[in-house]
Amino acid sequence: MTVAIEVEDLQKVYRTSNGGVVRALDGVSFKVPQGRIFGLLGPNGAGKSTLVKILSTITPHTSGRAAVRGFDVARQPLAARQQLAVVLQQTATENLLTVRDNLLIYAYLHGVKSHAAHERLQTVVEEFELGSQLRDTVQELSLGTKRRIQVAKIFMLDAPVIMLDEATTGMDPLMKRRVMDRLRAEARQGRTILLTTQVLSEAEELCESIMILDRGRSMASGTLPELRKLSTHMFRVNLLFADTNGDLVSKLEALQPVKLQVDGNTVEMVFQGEEASLLGRLAEISRETPILQFEVRGPTLEEIFIRLMKEKG
Amino acid sequence: MTGIGAVFYRDYRQRMTNIGFVFWDLFVPLAYLVLFGMGFERMLGGSVAVEGRAFGYTAFLLPGVLGMVTFSVAMNTSWGFFMDKDSGIFYELLTYPITRPQLLIGKISFNVLLAVIGSVLAVVLGVVAMGAPIRWDLLPLTAAIVTAATAGWFFLFSVFAIKLARMDAFNTVLSAAYILLMFLSSMFYPLSDLPIWFRVPAYLNPMTWQVDLLRFSLLGVGSPKTLLIEGVAVVVFAVICLFLAVRALNRAD
Repeated sequence: MTVAIEVEDLQKVYRTSNGGVVRALDGVSFKVPQGRIFGLLGPNGAGKSTLVKILSTITPHTSGRAAVRGFDVARQPLAARQQLAVVLQQTATENLLTVRDNLLIYAYLHGVKSHAAHERLQTVVEEFELGSQLRDTVQELSLGTKRRIQVAKIFMLDAPVIMLDEATTGMDPLMKRRVMDRLRAEARQGRTILLTTQVLSEAEELCESIMILDRGRSMASGTLPELRKLSTHMFRVNLLFADTNGDLVSKLEALQPVKLQVDGNTVEMVFQGEEASLLGRLAEISRETPILQFEVRGPTLEEIFIRLMKEKG
Repeated sequence: MTGIGAVFYRDYRQRMTNIGFVFWDLFVPLAYLVLFGMGFERMLGGSVAVEGRAFGYTAFLLPGVLGMVTFSVAMNTSWGFFMDKDSGIFYELLTYPITRPQLLIGKISFNVLLAVIGSVLAVVLGVVAMGAPIRWDLLPLTAAIVTAATAGWFFLFSVFAIKLARMDAFNTVLSAAYILLMFLSSMFYPLSDLPIWFRVPAYLNPMTWQVDLLRFSLLGVGSPKTLLIEGVAVVVFAVICLFLAVRALNRAD
């Protein structure tokens, strides 16, 4: 297994202007094998963007080690950067230049030859539907289009590692879907992708392994099934009742679900506790209000995330 | 395309989107030469003595105008870092596979070209319109001094542009630099007649070293020993400022 990204006991300490100390990263470790999509999740201030900045050599770390395809980001920053295409959290475009210049200059700055850059330009422009805006100055375009250009730029390259810091923020759903499909395809071809997001459904759909960060520390990491094991007594029940009239809702509330959502005759509940005793109580309810469909599933990433955050307080 | 070449191309494309900037860099120093030079030449009654030789004030001012060109070009180029911050591209640039010195040198390369063009225009204007007695044989040296000085000033101002978060703070630094570095130097007047409290900081000012060197390359005046020291100092100043700017980029978070 070739390791594309390796982070070992990484610490980042900032000194604030009033003499205080902020521990943005506190002993974070993980490895991302080549060709995998790795997700970093966490609330605001968790340290996700700091980690991306360290890996992309913008910010030096305080201690520990980080390497991209074997190149230490502190000791071999140029070699590490040569492996990377990065989309940072803030919108980053050359506002005074045209869309065309944005894409071409990005390629040139990454060492792509002029002929190859022009060839790649056609494909990227078609894929990201930028053809009609190619000659427009970027500052005249909407924020969503700027974001699209920013993400499109990374596909002007063949960098083996792609890092995206909340890259789909501000994108329309269709384009977001297209980017996600493209990222999956890139991973299948061997490119490694590290993404940070607060959109948990996005991470759930895209990432093969995930790390949940909070206040600079890793709270949990692993594949989605591994993370689900952290919530062994948490499960989701989807029910379709013949009708939801009468005191059905109050009976369901009496089961003390973590989450209860009623939509017509459909009910979605999340429980924390023993599955067997709950099923018995649901059977009692079904004698009065028949259940037409019944489904028990593991928790979603969002539910795991919320539970971990609540545990942490 | 090499790293420096790509950054050069990027800056060329950017600068060409705002001809006003280019105009400012190239023609404002010329206006100084014509308006300021002519006014003072009349007021002083014709000549300024340097190292025992008399020059018209316009000829005396010409090396200073070249100094002004290098200063203006460097200021406007370093200001570009704020445009990069404003558009969000600044941090992304730091993730590109180019070294920090390549980024800085590439950024100033196109603008050095502008400074050399601006200097040639000033020299031509000085000779044709105002009859300045120029040492044409030393023009390559003039170009070399303009190049080293523009780079040095750019690297110095870049340290502030990178470190400061607020544009108004950066503008204050530039305004202070403009007043202190240009007027506390040999740019507008010979230092020999000035009081000691003025002369000491002026001799420590890189603008003085640069203008003295340009006065030698353009007019052929200056003491060889002093000029040698000043030449080395200009290069050392540029190298130290490059080092500081690279360090600022490495700590840009």
